[in-house]
Amino acid sequence: MDFTLSKQHEMARTLFSEFAEKEVKPLAQEVDETEKFPRETVEKMAKAGFLGIPVPKELGGQGCDVLTYAMCVEELSKVCGTTGVIVSAHTSLCVDPIVTYGTPEQKAKYVPDLASGKKLGAFGLTEPGAGTDAQGQQTKAVLDGEEWVLNGSKCFITNGKEADVYIVIAVTGTVEKRGKTMKEISAFIVEKGTPGFTFGTKEKKMGIRGSSTYELIFQDCRIPKDNLLGQKGKGFNIAMHTLDGGRIGIAAQALGLAEGALERTIAYVQERKQFGRAIGAFQNTQFQLADMATKVEAAKMLVYKAAKAKDQFNADGKTSYSVEAAMAKLYAAEVAMEVTTKAVQLHGGYGYIREYDVERMMRDAKITEIYEGTSEVQRMVISANLLK
Amino acid sequence: MALEEYKGVFIFAQQVDNEISNIAFELLGKGKDLAADLGTEVTAVLVGSGVKGLADQLAEYGADRVIVVDDPELKEYRTEPYTHAIASVIDKFKPDVFLIGATAIGRDLGPRVCARVHTGLTADCTSLDIGDFPLVAIPGREQKHNQLLMTRPAFGGNTIATIACPDFRPQMATVRPGVMQKKEKVAGAKAVVEEFNPGFTPNANYVEILEIVKEVSDVVDIQDAKILVSGGRGVGSAENFKLLEDLAAAIGGEVSCSRAVVDSGWKPKELQVGQTGKTVRPHVYFAIGISGAIQHVAGMEESDIIIAINKDETAPIFDVADYGVVGDLNKIVPLLTKQILAAKASKAEN
Repeated sequence: MDFTLSKQHEMARTLFSEFAEKEVKPLAQEVDETEKFPRETVEKMAKAGFLGIPVPKELGGQGCDVLTYAMCVEELSKVCGTTGVIVSAHTSLCVDPIVTYGTPEQKAKYVPDLASGKKLGAFGLTEPGAGTDAQGQQTKAVLDGEEWVLNGSKCFITNGKEADVYIVIAVTGTVEKRGKTMKEISAFIVEKGTPGFTFGTKEKKMGIRGSSTYELIFQDCRIPKDNLLGQKGKGFNIAMHTLDGGRIGIAAQALGLAEGALERTIAYVQERKQFGRAIGAFQNTQFQLADMATKVEAAKMLVYKAAKAKDQFNADGKTSYSVEAAMAKLYAAEVAMEVTTKAVQLHGGYGYIREYDVERMMRDAKITEIYEGTSEVQRMVISANLLK
Repeated sequence: MALEEYKGVFIFAQQVDNEISNIAFELLGKGKDLAADLGTEVTAVLVGSGVKGLADQLAEYGADRVIVVDDPELKEYRTEPYTHAIASVIDKFKPDVFLIGATAIGRDLGPRVCARVHTGLTADCTSLDIGDFPLVAIPGREQKHNQLLMTRPAFGGNTIATIACPDFRPQMATVRPGVMQKKEKVAGAKAVVEEFNPGFTPNANYVEILEIVKEVSDVVDIQDAKILVSGGRGVGSAENFKLLEDLAAAIGGEVSCSRAVVDSGWKPKELQVGQTGKTVRPHVYFAIGISGAIQHVAGMEESDIIIAINKDETAPIFDVADYGVVGDLNKIVPLLTKQILAAKASKAEN
């Protein structure tokens, strides 16, 4: 059992961290304030290869492991939660399912542009009536000759409108299962610009305000028959499996937010003086920081372990990583919420002012307990596995 | 004063600006049925200034007799002189039943009159019958016959109460507009017209009318509408909302919409129904081209009747709809409008 990172991992982290400090941090506040999607940053990240980290080299990616990708999201999120989730949604929710389930033609057609960052990806599963209960899909896809016709809408889609390629989950019929009629669900690749595919509302959010969260609208949207991803009727499994991976990305984002808030708090309590000394000299502050740091470290171990499990799956195609991912996401998200809240407290009144980063981190942290499966869903996944 | 002395069904014939309000004709329609059950006549009480000429209209809708209280003091509705007028009519003519429309005027007038003449009043009735009180005879207790049984929703519509007024006369009720049916108009019908003036002393001790403002609002409050014609993304464009506006105009409703419509900039936010819009409870809610996500349904599921038009038969809106049509709203809505207009035209001829 070795807990030290390899040389390559250390080098990668340095690269991510320098990029985050230099390119992302200076914009973080403006991105939050103006709710502007950081397009220039995305282009710079594309150049630096951040949008294809765990993608095989032969498909135009960096050929690195999942841990490297998780560290990238972590380092970006230390300074800006928005930038972290852009990379995570693109990599885990759009590129990964195509790499895992796509036909050779689909991979060749889509992955190189996505991995190089020439194109951005997104994932459309959630609907107004189908959140945690993802089976409650209403969006339909009907085969008409050589084309699938999509009708319905998706909501809360990260990278919406900004992305060029969308994985969209839709109902393609019904199946009899154990005497019950169930929806048959399939996955599709839909490109921006397809007639009948438009964008609805941009959501105004509490946090990750630069991340573009849109409604997707399909009105008689026709896509080629070949854009079915994986087997017809396997869409639900594809979606769930994709989310297992996405949870590692979000866990890494939560971890980064917690680390960023902790770093800033450590610096602040050493500068800030009250009663004639730095507030870091008070035992309450010290113990709070000790708790925060311990939880962050525990979260980190869970996140890295989940990343390693996914690496194993990518290598052998059968290792399960869903429980590891669920635990990592559940714990890291709750730690992020707790640590950022304490960080604001330790900053006192200043922590509540938008000029200081910690209030933004606290707003950004909350979503990590909700998206890509709420904390409740993670507990369902974990306990179902314990009691099977 | 013996209760037997009280005879006849009286209705308050509300007029505003010397124009009889629709509710007066509705009350006559119901009043006639009640009078038939009681073997008596229906009398309209017309109160105002220079209103005698309106009596014939009341006759055409079924009034056997019209009592006109005409005085300059009664030109505009004010509580005090109108209460004096009606209470005096009751004292002199002794009606068995007195009905008032539950309009803004009626809801103000009814309680004042009933307190002055010391009788019972049931507010905002939706159904009126003649029957026994108690409904089922109770041994050892007298069961009275030919009582007015007044039914009204209470507790926000969650329970239905039937109320009687066995020991005092007249039995008074204010009646919800739009619930009772007018009788068919009998052109040229005449009624006995009796003028009665209890004498008015001008006084502005309590109320003085400074100004009457006729409201012209450009954006209606959809929460007050009795009928809402609501459109969703399926309507397709701002221009296409004309179909819904035509339907709303035909049926006397207002247009509202879903969030998607506001987001598309087709309609203002004031018209949005749903969790982040307004919660509405109209009598009738048309959901046209609305899929029926819970975020929308939460704002309208309390509507009395929900009618859904949607091309997708699996749309969740059909789970809450009382009536539904699966099909293209562009075809269905104009047809519906046409049918409603035709039905109204044939009704107007009668």
